[in-house]
Amino acid sequence: MSDNVDTTTIVKKEGAAPATCEAGTTVGLEDAVVQARGVERDYGQGDALVRALAGIDIDLQRGAYTAIMGPSGSGKSTLMHILAGLDKPTAGNVWIDGQEITTLKERALTQLRRDKIGFIFQTFNLLPTLTAAENITLPLTIAGRKGDAAWVDELIKTVGLGDRLTHKPSELSGGQQQRVAVARALASRPAVLFADEPTGNLDSRTGEEVLQLLRQSRDKLGQTIVMVTHDAHAATYADRIVFLKDGAIAHDCGRLGRDDIYEVIKSLEDA
Amino acid sequence: MLRVAWRSLTAHRLRTFLTTLAILLGVAMICGTYVLSDQIDSGFKDIFTNAYRGIDVTVTRKAKFSGDMTGATAGLPESMVAQVKAVSGVADAYGYVSGTGAVAVDGKVVSTGGSPTLFFSYAPGDVSNATYVQGGHPAAPGQVSIIQKLAKDKNLGIGSKIDVITPGGSETVTVSGIFTFGAESSLGGSILIDTTLADAQRWFDMKGSVSTIDAKAEAGVSPDVLAGRVRTALPPYADVKTGTQAATDQTKQISDAIGGFLRPVLLSFGGIAVLVGAFIIFNAFSMTVAQRRREFAMLRALGASRRQVLGVVTGEALVMGILASVLGILVGLAIAAGILRLFAAANIDIPHSGLVLAPRTIVVALAVGIVVTLLSAVVPATRATRVPPMAALQEGASLPPSRFARFTPYIAIVVAILGALAIVAGMYGPGNTTSRLATIALGAVFLFVAVAMVSRYIIRPLAGVLGWPLQRVSPVSGRLARDNSRRNPGRTAATASALMIGLGVVVFVAVFAQGLKTSFIDSFDRVVRADFIVQGKNFLPLPSDTAGKVQGAVGVQTAAAVQAQQAQIGGKTVAVYAVDPVAFQQVWKFDWLKGGTDAVLGKLGTDGVLVEEQTASTLGTGVGKTVTLTTVDGKQAKLKVVGVYRDPIMLNGVVMTDAAYQSIFTKPQLFMVFATTGTGASVSETQTSLKAALATVPTADVQTAQEYKDGIVKQVNQLLNLLYGLLAMSVIISIFGIVNTLVLAVFERTREIGLTRAIGMSRRQVRSTVRYESVITSIIGAIMGIVVGVVFAWVVTTRFAGQGITFSIPGVQLVVFLIVGVIVGIIAAILPAHRAAKIDILEAIHYE
Repeated sequence: MSDNVDTTTIVKKEGAAPATCEAGTTVGLEDAVVQARGVERDYGQGDALVRALAGIDIDLQRGAYTAIMGPSGSGKSTLMHILAGLDKPTAGNVWIDGQEITTLKERALTQLRRDKIGFIFQTFNLLPTLTAAENITLPLTIAGRKGDAAWVDELIKTVGLGDRLTHKPSELSGGQQQRVAVARALASRPAVLFADEPTGNLDSRTGEEVLQLLRQSRDKLGQTIVMVTHDAHAATYADRIVFLKDGAIAHDCGRLGRDDIYEVIKSLEDA
Repeated sequence: MLRVAWRSLTAHRLRTFLTTLAILLGVAMICGTYVLSDQIDSGFKDIFTNAYRGIDVTVTRKAKFSGDMTGATAGLPESMVAQVKAVSGVADAYGYVSGTGAVAVDGKVVSTGGSPTLFFSYAPGDVSNATYVQGGHPAAPGQVSIIQKLAKDKNLGIGSKIDVITPGGSETVTVSGIFTFGAESSLGGSILIDTTLADAQRWFDMKGSVSTIDAKAEAGVSPDVLAGRVRTALPPYADVKTGTQAATDQTKQISDAIGGFLRPVLLSFGGIAVLVGAFIIFNAFSMTVAQRRREFAMLRALGASRRQVLGVVTGEALVMGILASVLGILVGLAIAAGILRLFAAANIDIPHSGLVLAPRTIVVALAVGIVVTLLSAVVPATRATRVPPMAALQEGASLPPSRFARFTPYIAIVVAILGALAIVAGMYGPGNTTSRLATIALGAVFLFVAVAMVSRYIIRPLAGVLGWPLQRVSPVSGRLARDNSRRNPGRTAATASALMIGLGVVVFVAVFAQGLKTSFIDSFDRVVRADFIVQGKNFLPLPSDTAGKVQGAVGVQTAAAVQAQQAQIGGKTVAVYAVDPVAFQQVWKFDWLKGGTDAVLGKLGTDGVLVEEQTASTLGTGVGKTVTLTTVDGKQAKLKVVGVYRDPIMLNGVVMTDAAYQSIFTKPQLFMVFATTGTGASVSETQTSLKAALATVPTADVQTAQEYKDGIVKQVNQLLNLLYGLLAMSVIISIFGIVNTLVLAVFERTREIGLTRAIGMSRRQVRSTVRYESVITSIIGAIMGIVVGVVFAWVVTTRFAGQGITFSIPGVQLVVFLIVGVIVGIIAAILPAHRAAKIDILEAIHYE
């Protein structure tokens, strides 16, 4: 197994090495919304032990749009689950908005999800029985809040679904459904929005719409976004791309073009 | 969040409909029972209030105990009428004789559909509410006036001749008048006959006596005050009441008779239906929770707390429960109205008021519907809260097993033990019959639940065995059906359990009835030596001279009459039978205990008594001991026990001689006459001559021993059919349960079905797969029901072995029930199979 310095060297050697990439982890950024230190996650025991995350340190700045990439089994989904408080690390700590979350009890975690976290799923996960508008305000309903009508209106305007609000998810296209899901995730103004393969179930055109919408929410609303994706094109929308391999951060890059991303992935797969 | 629940209900209409229906029908049965019995109650209340209108004080003879044979009282001396009249404040008083009998027109008894034919003597000054539409009161012996309905039905007018049959015999009388009673042309199906006092006294063996004395108060004297004055003026055996009190008491008596039998019986069938419904709700919610786990995970990921997820599921249950209860009440009203129509169509005119929806009915129906639905949904709802938010991000995550899953067998054992204890406590413990039956029922419910809980462990092997022949017949569909039914044993178990309960009770009833029939026939064959049995048709009275007429018939060697009465011994009401010891030996073979022989009959005399084994043990008496017997009028007699016999079915009580009877009881009361055929006479010829001899007694029913036995068996079967009818509801509900499970299973397997279709399975094969699975499930339910029902019947018959009921398995019927199980499965599969076959291949394989 090659060490990180070597990998970076290879990338650079091939001439496509993006100048913005750092080897290993980047910590100590100012105003981090999400922070992780020494996060490890093991599955199974004894001989069957699989180390999905092998000590991750990462800070995600407020207002940053971060993509997490890596080959299958690199631990990118596990990392997102742990950062979002859906799964507990075997070791290490995670802070969201300054609050340590790995020791939180059920009730506090529920409160955390209500107040600080938004989710976008690969399969949209809209409630099929509610209309688009009702799905958008669902997090507010769950939290028992009236919500800010102007904010909801703005969201609806942003996602561009004005005429389809009373439709049920089954009457919407995949892209439209995912736009509803984005609006839903933004409705409670979360500190951080986690997107799990948001374009995985969409064709390129509708995927594009969703990606632009996410970008807009970063640019217009200053939304912090963490996106796990396979899709190099999706990652080009991010301000920062973190590449994982074997449960550790291989590269931590700034904005990259599609070709650069391919190069990095290829180098990770080859190594 | 309630909106989420509501939307989910309205989005899945079929599921909501089937699940709601499951509980709705049970609620409807409960509500219908209350509505019907309330209607009948208030119908009787109207009648009695009407009957006592204008009567301020009424006097009868105090009954020492209440029994079925109230006509047995000696009544009050006629002279007491003058005594009442003499009380200050009495404006007028008159006495009359009343009794029950029968009326025959053209030699045929007029059927009243179970209501009594009531005779009242008319007295001048009578303030009764009879309003004459034609003619007037009977003026001389041999005349009667009749209620308008009888005149209309039988086309009678003034001067028409009818036969009246009373304990005093059969007599032809002339109609002198036709009246209505209050506003009614009939009195709840009863026939009312107004007679002269002299005739009534003769017919009901009340010479010099009256049954009742009614008095009217002078202006300004309140009924209560007057009743007090009359009470002080009369001897203690006179029971003095105000008219209002008497009306209330009589209403209550009838209500208790109805409430004490009809209501609990109907309610328990409603209860069974609700229990079956509970299983279906439990199953439906378990399945939908499993199917919606991603939805719950998503809600959790969006910040919903466990409590909120619980709220969504219980909210759905709540809405369903409310819906089912409200609709159940409406359907219950319809059922009550329908039953009365049905009775009316069968010419059984049960008195009833308009539909009565008492607050109690609404409260009970709502409570049962809502509470049962919520309770059934609690476990699935709790499982829904255990879906982790992570499941929203994962493909094919399965529902985490319940925290208590591994304890299930132990919980089942505890529940089973509790159930068994309750049953034992109910059967052998103290308390009155109602509370003991309730305890047994509770125990049965526990046992059913326990069996349902453990049944999941026998599903795999049982479905394997049952599926094997199907797989042989149809290698593809049979194989898939067999696997499908085994792949989620818990679900198959719960679905089958719903059917198990309904069929279990059916089987229990069938086995119990079989025991009843077998033991009756055995007992009859053991003791009865007679060729003929003469008794009153439909419990109508048999005139006392019937025995003489039987004896006089050509071909009859011996006729032995049995009189029956009720009396109290040691505070317990027992049946008293009186016979002629010499004649009775010819028709009866006693099963003597304690070394008794027929010689004992000779020692009876006027102060001896024979006691049946069961009665002897309840009374704690035996040969050589003395018992004190109290009649309904309070007369006491000391009798010596000279023999103990075993006969828990035919003559369960005490037996004395006619002579002893005559000295203790005031009135004869003929129960049955047994007759043997003389040597050289044929049974069929003798029957013909018997019928001819009894032509003047239209209420007499002449039967050979075989006909009599067949008649009893027929009666048991009729009752059995009625019970089957009531239980059919539970079986129907369990069909909905199977439909629901299959529809949800088909929905779950959309992708899989599409796949099998894509690789060449025909629609027909898809349909048979669903049908076979349905049949496997329903046969499992039927088998479990049969096993549980038979075991339960065995336990109960063992308890009643002393009463002569034996355990006997109706083999043919059990096979029929198994076939019913198969049919249930086939019917239940129709809709789900159709849905499965309709699945579009392309859509299905893209479906997730």
